[in-house]
Amino acid sequence: MPILECRELSKRFGSVQALDEVSLTLEAGRVVGLLGPNGSGKTTLLKLANGLLTPTDGEILIEGLAPGKETHSVVSYLPDRPYLAEWMKVRQLLDLFEDFYDDFDRNKATEMLLRLSIDEEMRIKEMSKGTREKAQLILVMSRKAKLYLLDEPIGGVDPATRDYILETIIRNYNPEAAVVISTHLIADVEQVLDDVIFINQGKIMLQSSVDAIREEHGMSVDQYFREVFRC
Amino acid sequence: MLGKLIKHEFRATARIMLPISGAVLALSLLANLSIRGLTGSMSEIPVLRIFFLFIEFAFGAAIVAAGVMAIVIMVSRFYRNLLKDEGYLMFTLPVSVHELIWAKLIVSLVWFLVTSLLIFLVCCATALNISGTSLAVVIGEMPSWAELRDALKEIGVYDKLVGLTLKMVLLVLLSILAVCLHFYASMSLGHMFSKNKILLSIVFFVLISFAFNMMKMSIGIAGFDALNGTHPMNDSEVMTQFMSRALWVGIGTQAVQAAVLYFATVLSLKRGLNLE
Repeated sequence: MPILECRELSKRFGSVQALDEVSLTLEAGRVVGLLGPNGSGKTTLLKLANGLLTPTDGEILIEGLAPGKETHSVVSYLPDRPYLAEWMKVRQLLDLFEDFYDDFDRNKATEMLLRLSIDEEMRIKEMSKGTREKAQLILVMSRKAKLYLLDEPIGGVDPATRDYILETIIRNYNPEAAVVISTHLIADVEQVLDDVIFINQGKIMLQSSVDAIREEHGMSVDQYFREVFRC
Repeated sequence: MLGKLIKHEFRATARIMLPISGAVLALSLLANLSIRGLTGSMSEIPVLRIFFLFIEFAFGAAIVAAGVMAIVIMVSRFYRNLLKDEGYLMFTLPVSVHELIWAKLIVSLVWFLVTSLLIFLVCCATALNISGTSLAVVIGEMPSWAELRDALKEIGVYDKLVGLTLKMVLLVLLSILAVCLHFYASMSLGHMFSKNKILLSIVFFVLISFAFNMMKMSIGIAGFDALNGTHPMNDSEVMTQFMSRALWVGIGTQAVQAAVLYFATVLSLKRGLNLE
């Protein structure tokens, strides 16, 4: 059974068609890049997979189930924005994740925080933007989830933080799980991807392995993306 | 999971409500001391008199602030924790929407009750202080629960009073829940839209108020019509029956209001969640 499946999935916001009859399947054990320009529907797709939006048409399934309480326990989601309560201390967030997610490895999170010298007594509001992003990622990647949905994990951070984030993802994800990294910064993520999905104006333009793109088109994913989305 | 949500909700709210409750208690103590100062010889010194009056004012303000903060916390926790960015975490926890709402309701209810009890106690203490009565004397003169129960049983009103009290408690609890759900439903409905979320929440709040006030007014008018010219105040038996029925109607009305608003909240969060 695919870990994630979309069947003619559509989402409309008023007159805007954010997703248009998207059909795709993702298998476990792959790192997938969900690549597309801004406003192409990447965030909408990930929000639908997390039950944060309801489809207008079609369906989206995680391990055969519609997003909800059951699927939340196997999906580890990193939204594209700061989403942790600013008043909270890191220790309180560790408590929260430990309380709600059975697959959360507190020791792993503590080790990663220690390595970055992030004090557990530090409040989120006391952190710089980069540290906040790292703390969020550490919480998300310290789960042994079956599906990681990471929305723009490297957007808006400096190159050093970008490297740290990608390294953290690759070192810490559950190898039996699927990882979806949504981004438009293709050159930075290309090295860690197994597969790519090109999305534009709510439609899937391409789903392929990175190797197939390189073999068939003789160019990198970044170059091929520029070719496909040439303005 | 509901227990865990409640635990974290208390953690989030206690950091504001506990210091406020502590401030009310501390200012109550100071205010009661300053009452003695105002009534004693020290009040003849103008600076001290102004200081004592300032303490009394601060005490009054702290009482109002505690009541207002209980409402503000109830509204802001729902808004910030579920409808703003924190919602990305809360709605992806392995919990149901029902559990998310009940955790907020239960914790808000507890803070309303704690704050009300605190305000009642500090006001009683101040009243005793102003009247110059010692608390020990009041407690000493109070009949024991057994004495009170026997006396009420002797005049045959014990069961009725217990019944009326229980109904009143139920009515108060349901009313608090209905008030919370009025805010929750208005905000959830308003935030289903992509733009003008706060303005639409206010519009829904007013519309819901209007609809339920109309319903209550109709029920009230029907209730007075049903009295059919009788005057319950003239007969204690009829009066008790009238009060009992009125309380049941109140309980029923509040229960219907709370249920409708609860399902409106659940449906809009389940089907229309639209986080920015």
